[in-house]
Amino acid sequence: MRNWSILFALAAIASVAAFLYAPFSADWWLPNPPDQTHHVISAFGREIDNLFLIILFITGAVFIGTQVVLVYSSYKFVDEMDEHGKPKRAATYSHGNNRLEVIWTIIPGAILVFLAVYQVGTWASIKFRSAAPRVAPLAEITARQFQWVIRYPGPDGRLNSPDDLVVVNDFHFVKNKQTLIYLKSSDVLHSFYLPHLRIKQDAVPGLTIPVWFDSDTAGSFEIACAELCGWGHYKMRGKVTIHETETDFQRWVSDQLTEQNKSQLTMTAGAEGR
Amino acid sequence: MTRSRFVAGLILGGLVLTSSGCSDTFNAGPLEYVSAVTLTQDVPGKTNLAGKQPLQDKVRAALAGLFGDSPQRIRVPEGSGLPGGGIYLASYKLEGDGANARRKRIYRPRADGTPDPSRPQAGGYAIYRRNCLHCHGVSGAGDGPTAPYLFPIPRDFRQGLFKFTSTPNGARPHRDDLRRTIKNGLHGTSMPAFHALLSADEIEQVIDYVIFLSMRGETELMLIEEAGTADENDPDALEEEVVKELADGVFNKWKTAQEQVMNPSIARTPATRESILRGRDLFLGRTKEKLECAGCHGMLAQGDGASFVSKEVFDSIVFGGNPSERAARLSALDEKTRTLWTQKLDVWGNPLRPANLNRGDYKGGRRPIDIYWRIAKGINGAQMPAHDSTINERQIWDLVNFVLALPYEPELLTEAGNEPQRAKLADTATAR
Ligand code: HEC
Ligand code: HEC
Ligand SMILES: [Cu+2]
Repeated sequence: MRNWSILFALAAIASVAAFLYAPFSADWWLPNPPDQTHHVISAFGREIDNLFLIILFITGAVFIGTQVVLVYSSYKFVDEMDEHGKPKRAATYSHGNNRLEVIWTIIPGAILVFLAVYQVGTWASIKFRSAAPRVAPLAEITARQFQWVIRYPGPDGRLNSPDDLVVVNDFHFVKNKQTLIYLKSSDVLHSFYLPHLRIKQDAVPGLTIPVWFDSDTAGSFEIACAELCGWGHYKMRGKVTIHETETDFQRWVSDQLTEQNKSQLTMTAGAEGR
Repeated sequence: MTRSRFVAGLILGGLVLTSSGCSDTFNAGPLEYVSAVTLTQDVPGKTNLAGKQPLQDKVRAALAGLFGDSPQRIRVPEGSGLPGGGIYLASYKLEGDGANARRKRIYRPRADGTPDPSRPQAGGYAIYRRNCLHCHGVSGAGDGPTAPYLFPIPRDFRQGLFKFTSTPNGARPHRDDLRRTIKNGLHGTSMPAFHALLSADEIEQVIDYVIFLSMRGETELMLIEEAGTADENDPDALEEEVVKELADGVFNKWKTAQEQVMNPSIARTPATRESILRGRDLFLGRTKEKLECAGCHGMLAQGDGASFVSKEVFDSIVFGGNPSERAARLSALDEKTRTLWTQKLDVWGNPLRPANLNRGDYKGGRRPIDIYWRIAKGINGAQMPAHDSTINERQIWDLVNFVLALPYEPELLTEAGNEPQRAKLADTATAR
């Protein structure tokens, strides 16, 4: 049955083709702004993607190598019968090859150690609290089943005071600015995920976790929950808006505050309509 | 050879699965409206048509004639007042009569007004089915498959009553009220905020559909009321004229409500210490108006007032075991508590708790005007009464200021006898 080796070869070729095609398609590649397939908008994103690509290259090379050996040997050493229905070639028995075993254990081991050491700097700059930027938190984000409640300090500049701005599933910040938020959960585990910024952090009930990031591009992106948190998990999708300038952001905040402080209808009712 | 057939089957199966499961145009099988309980069952104290088959049939026929017989064959009665005559309710229009009616696809218009075949309209029903049906149910009865797992349970739209409105007590909501609920959700309940999940246009379409279900449901109740007064064998019961009149009555309630939004004639009083303390005294019933807020919400506003059953009893009934055995848990209560329990249900017959005002979560929104509406005109169907006849607008604003300050200054009630000390307040605010 030589056909099997052909099937294996096709599967391997299709996989490699998928990887080779991916960078040329915005849908297949990593989440980046529409029309800028290869532009990662955050500093951490660029580091994470570099790590991702290194791993992709290493595993890709190993994959190609092992697939070539697999297809070649299943083609070459296929069991053939002679006209009497007897195998043409006698099976050989061996106890393995110690040297080979050591080699193919040490090489992947070394790669793993290399990756483990190589990524430490990135991990530390994204997760270690000591690396958090020394700026005032922009907002406090509390996950609950099933939404993100986002609280910005109001005019008094302090969080958790009566003038706070509270919005749901609508997160705004400013481009080219280190942004710090505090992440909380009011019920179960959730995970705050900003795919375009490659930021993912679990929200743990009882903990206040600082999360920081930046972006070099303004635009509209999304938040997702990356921890299955209950039946409505999929509903925890939110909007992220990155403003061009601080002034734009402040204008948004003050518009929202005006709405939040509304005590009379100014226009005749119904003006919001279709 | 069986093996290669197996492989081929596997590949084919995979193809079929991937190509069928992902399509957005996938349409569920036939869906049916559930009918009101009083149509077929004997409900003590309510007009019902139990056992009166001919009248039941008449109600069903009248309802199908007005609104279509299933969500996949929607009709919109004339005079409904829905935008575009109901054109945004579905992805199709029914053309023709009765069983011969055909569905005709609706396309969104190009800039010049002609239909654009590349942009089919989703319609309120499709958006509702995807986003709301699993909670609010096919008929808007609040009985979707997710509903039994939620507290509070989703709204039943069929009485035309909505809680968080800007219109007078008991009136239909304004369209803006529904839009606010759908965009922002109801905080502290499982009703989600949809403004990040749906486009503005989709939200308008789904509002239309909610109103449609509500009108349909209320018309059904009116038809049952009307048929309840008729003789079972009267061939003239529920004539076309009568049906039309009843439906118009329902539509008119929606139309008039659009003109009745309550707009405070004076702006909010600045939230000064004096105003907040005046609000507190009103809340505690210390003024001559003797307001009952604390009787329901509790002396510490924790939602544990004396006029409702205690929190322990409430929790043991609602959360203390299998929801389907709630009746058994209820019957184990003593007579007095049970009576109180029955009196303190909401109009939909669901258990209800006064809000804990220390949490700073407001279902109907945190804007001063939202809280104003809650206090001035009450919360429809939820026991909380209108206060605009007992106190003036200034007093309502004092209450609003008190309510909005309380979550940050629980001392307002814990030390209700004495003037809270400012220094201490500042301390706790920074510590938090
Ligand atoms: C997860 C379940 C869930 C989903 C999904 C859901 N709702 Fe609700 N909805 C609720 C609950 C629960 C309430 C009632 C809360 C209460 O009574 O305090 C409610 C209440 C409402 C109300 C009544 C508000 C009032 O003032 O009384 C409207 C209108 C409404 N929902 C519309 C929608 C629409 C439209 C959708 C879909 C776009 C939707 N809901 C999806 C759970 C849900
Ligand atoms: C007869 C009982 C009763 C009285 C009296 C009452 N309430 Fe309520 N109130 C309720 C109930 C019940 C709810 C919760 C309704 C719900 O969640 O559906 C509520 C909810 C509220 C809310 C929350 C609204 C929201 O959006 O979540 C506020 C604020 C409030 N009441 C303030 C007051 C004030 C101020 C007074 C006195 C002027 C008052 N209530 C008097 C029963 C009452
Ligand atoms: Cu979640």
